[in-house]
Amino acid sequence: MDTIICRCEEITEDEIRDAIRKFELRTIDEVKRLTGAGMGLCQGRSCEPLLKRILAQETNRGINQIMPLSRRPPAKPIKLEALIREKGNES
Amino acid sequence: MNKIADVVVIGGGVIGCSVAYHLAKRGAKVTVLEKREGLCFGASGSNQGGVPVSLFLPESPLLELIRASITLYKSLSQEIGYDIEYQQSGLLVCSVDEKQYPYLEKHVQEMQRKGVDIRLLEGDEIRKLEPIIGYDVVAGTEEWESGIVNPFKVTHGLAYAARKFGAEFILTTKIYGIEVKENRITSVITDKGKLATKFIVATTGAWSLEIGQMVGLTIPVRPQRGQVIVTEPLPLNKRWNYINDADYLNIAFNADEAGNYENQRIKLGVAGNYIQKDTGTWTIGSSRDFAGYDNQVTMETTNYLVKRMIQFIPKLKDSNFIRMYAGLRPFCYPDGLPIISEVDNPSGFLIATGHAGEGVTLAPITGKLISELITEKKTSLPIDAFRFSRFKDMETEAD
Repeated sequence: MDTIICRCEEITEDEIRDAIRKFELRTIDEVKRLTGAGMGLCQGRSCEPLLKRILAQETNRGINQIMPLSRRPPAKPIKLEALIREKGNES
Repeated sequence: MNKIADVVVIGGGVIGCSVAYHLAKRGAKVTVLEKREGLCFGASGSNQGGVPVSLFLPESPLLELIRASITLYKSLSQEIGYDIEYQQSGLLVCSVDEKQYPYLEKHVQEMQRKGVDIRLLEGDEIRKLEPIIGYDVVAGTEEWESGIVNPFKVTHGLAYAARKFGAEFILTTKIYGIEVKENRITSVITDKGKLATKFIVATTGAWSLEIGQMVGLTIPVRPQRGQVIVTEPLPLNKRWNYINDADYLNIAFNADEAGNYENQRIKLGVAGNYIQKDTGTWTIGSSRDFAGYDNQVTMETTNYLVKRMIQFIPKLKDSNFIRMYAGLRPFCYPDGLPIISEVDNPSGFLIATGHAGEGVTLAPITGKLISELITEKKTSLPIDAFRFSRFKDMETEAD
């Protein structure tokens, strides 16, 4: 069945399961990088729990044994211009 | 885990996976040990995927290696049965500084003498072909040997192909030590047990110092941080999806020199490296600074990245960015060149690191050369410039 898991990038459950099996993946970071699921505008905020559940099933582990996605700023899309506003230049 | 291997590869990045693939293909029994729970989590996973030719100076020993690597990339997808998204995209190198013009002219002539398909363009010609390019761009070079790849797919594709040839990947593994008998490697001690082996290849990127010390070697590599910003999907460019800043020709491969400039941007190694994928997203890079093992994105560097970008592709400033990341590349501080080499003592220990920002670019040829060193004791290309023995007379500063 072609259930869409990542709605931003339109990645299906089959694509995700295939990648996990083919590349023997154990992290959802790798699932994201190879399938594109979680790489779109929402950065995995809607599909991360689903990705975790699929990976847990495929690797015979509990969901709490699956590492969360690496957090990459920003939390939501922001205009690039915002990075050059003079305030907030300090690291 | 197997108890015996011919070759143990330490590190599951793009270099380690390429080494494993080339060796397994030649029939060696290969085990790859990786400390993380997956592959491609170091510098390979924060690479923009550019495979540049015309960013190198004609006299650089890397030029021949890169061209050989590109030849391997061209057939890699077919060879491993998985699409690594290689594209012969070409490369547009742009300058926003009139003073660089004579330098670009000379570069084009010298590269043409090397047989590279490259030509000089005026700013107006560039904008006619690619209206998105900003008015600050005064000149540029277009060259058609360079390409782009998907670094994740390259790394995992090589691992997939290596497994098909019998290579074993052991994840989440700590290395405690390396055993040597009569100046020869005999085994690797890990948290999962002891693994007997004839050869070890350290493909440990920015984390090589520690592994070298286990056999009494100082591998002169330190982490160099690179920061990248990713945008939302945008309309595709017409002619060039791989655009670079001519500053790379001067500064990016010479961090020592860059440090002497007053300019903070140059000190942070910020120069434009812009790649648009077929999905429409741009990656905006890159920087080269030294901050130990800190792999966080900083406001200071991303600020310079965007300011610089506005001179080259001003329109992008109105788009959204969705992600930023930083990675630690292995910078070989004595000369900036990679180490692709066996060592005299202990014998059986090989090193493939120090590729700085060019790990993905050089992965195919590095894997091939290391496999030749192990199985044939000679290489199909000269590697004198990359030998570990070049540091012999040098005072290494371990830090």
